[in-house]
Amino acid sequence: MPENVRGSFRDPSGFMFKHDGKLYRQVNQKYREEYDLLMNSGLFDQLNKSRTLIAHKEVELALAPRPEIAYKVIQPEIVDFISYPYEWCFNQLKDAAILTLAIARRALEFGMSLKDASAYNIQFHQGRPIFIDTLSFEKYEEGTPWVAYRQFCQHFLAPLALMVKADIRLAQLMRLHIDGIPLDLASKLLPGSTRLNFGLTTHIHIHAKSQQRYADKEVSQDKVKARMSKTSMYGLLDSLLSTVKSLNVKTIQTEWTDYYQDNNYTQASFEAKRQLVRSFIEQVQPKQVWDLGGNTGEFSRAASELQIPTVCFDIDPGAVQQNYDLVKANKEKFMLPLCMDLTNPSPDLGWHNAERESMQARGPVDLVMALALIHHLAISNNVPLLDVADYFADLGEYLIIEFVPKSDSQVKRLLASRLDIFPDYTLEGFRNAFKQRYVLLDEKPVEGSERTLFLMKRA
Amino acid sequence: MHYQPIFSLLMTNHEYLDPGSGSMLIQVILAALLGAGVAIKIFWRNIKAFFTGKKTSETTTEDPTALTEDDPTAVPSDSTSTRE
Repeated sequence: MPENVRGSFRDPSGFMFKHDGKLYRQVNQKYREEYDLLMNSGLFDQLNKSRTLIAHKEVELALAPRPEIAYKVIQPEIVDFISYPYEWCFNQLKDAAILTLAIARRALEFGMSLKDASAYNIQFHQGRPIFIDTLSFEKYEEGTPWVAYRQFCQHFLAPLALMVKADIRLAQLMRLHIDGIPLDLASKLLPGSTRLNFGLTTHIHIHAKSQQRYADKEVSQDKVKARMSKTSMYGLLDSLLSTVKSLNVKTIQTEWTDYYQDNNYTQASFEAKRQLVRSFIEQVQPKQVWDLGGNTGEFSRAASELQIPTVCFDIDPGAVQQNYDLVKANKEKFMLPLCMDLTNPSPDLGWHNAERESMQARGPVDLVMALALIHHLAISNNVPLLDVADYFADLGEYLIIEFVPKSDSQVKRLLASRLDIFPDYTLEGFRNAFKQRYVLLDEKPVEGSERTLFLMKRA
Repeated sequence: MHYQPIFSLLMTNHEYLDPGSGSMLIQVILAALLGAGVAIKIFWRNIKAFFTGKKTSETTTEDPTALTEDDPTAVPSDSTSTRE
């Protein structure tokens, strides 16, 4: 039985569905002309060869769940892990914005227009952003404005500007407003100095005012006598592009970016730990790994270097950005850095709570790694050890976890300013708690430290 | 009093996404300005090319509005199509 993908209902051009565990897209009759133009104009080939639009193959029409309106059924290439804009670091969102504009520009060249500039249409695939919505193109009619202009400003420009000019943490507004940050809100939150920036003052501040002024008003034709030439369209896209490119977050100095320079690891024990992690991963041979609290990905790379698709989650946008910059510089294909607060992970969002999946719903994964993390959950966030075990067991089958005892300097630091209300936080207490959910497969001390590394399998 | 449908001239097929009337208006005005900028840029480039005798690069003669640097949609030299 085909099963509709629940987040895929907005576009009348087609929809995603699953059949026998495989992902397909029905292209509706309504979209026939546009689909043919995309495939035959050379636009698809251009974007496919540059690896900026997801590849697909046409399969038999008999698979269509709604044959009465179906034109084609296509099977898109699969992205290992679906991520959302509120989980990206600044540079990921910026690269996604640049790609969206570049595709809009390229489409014009082939007589098409990008009708949907949603940030959710971009995914990170093999280390690079890629556009995944094959049905987002329509025939370009000279004189028409860019239908996705407002959407682009809400989904990309507003959050990028807020992150740079106001506060990096405002990225989280994207989690609240899943159709992009309302421009009047962005305009209010941005400092006054941004009014001196041509791109921001026009595309955000004046744009917001114009929206307010014409909200719910019928606008008569003579008000928009001016029609938009193709040159004007290029002018608009280029202005957005240069505005986006001018926004930069250099090094985000946050709590964790110096972690590896600033703790009591010696180079030797660091290397020993990496070897240990690697040998555990080789025992499990997972298809996919989630590294929780993975910082800049030092240990996630033990997995990704074995060509295992690895998601490295961290709460710190600075660490995630450092990791992403590394992925880009080294053209790494198996590493996906994402921002995630594990004490409040991404929930199910949107219509019917089903448009955007929670972190957990995107699992379970074969192997979860939680290195130097337990003390942050158990001590900083007061989560009982058994609850930590419960949560990790929900996320994946195997677990590589490091126990960091109270005698470790990192834990001492956490306990320095508060009462020690954690009598069970001992190696023995840890073992007892995790034994209730897992079978302990292996246990090795981390050389040069008082920590212990465990390999476990869900019971 | 009868209004014509909003932007009936400008909008062709927008039942899927509401572009917003204020967004459309400001865009058309802004784009006219920015388009003039593009036209001037091309004009100067041609004047400069005329006096320096330098030909504009291949991409710019074909399409004066082409992105010249870091265009992610440019086809890398080692690419192979994955179309099946």
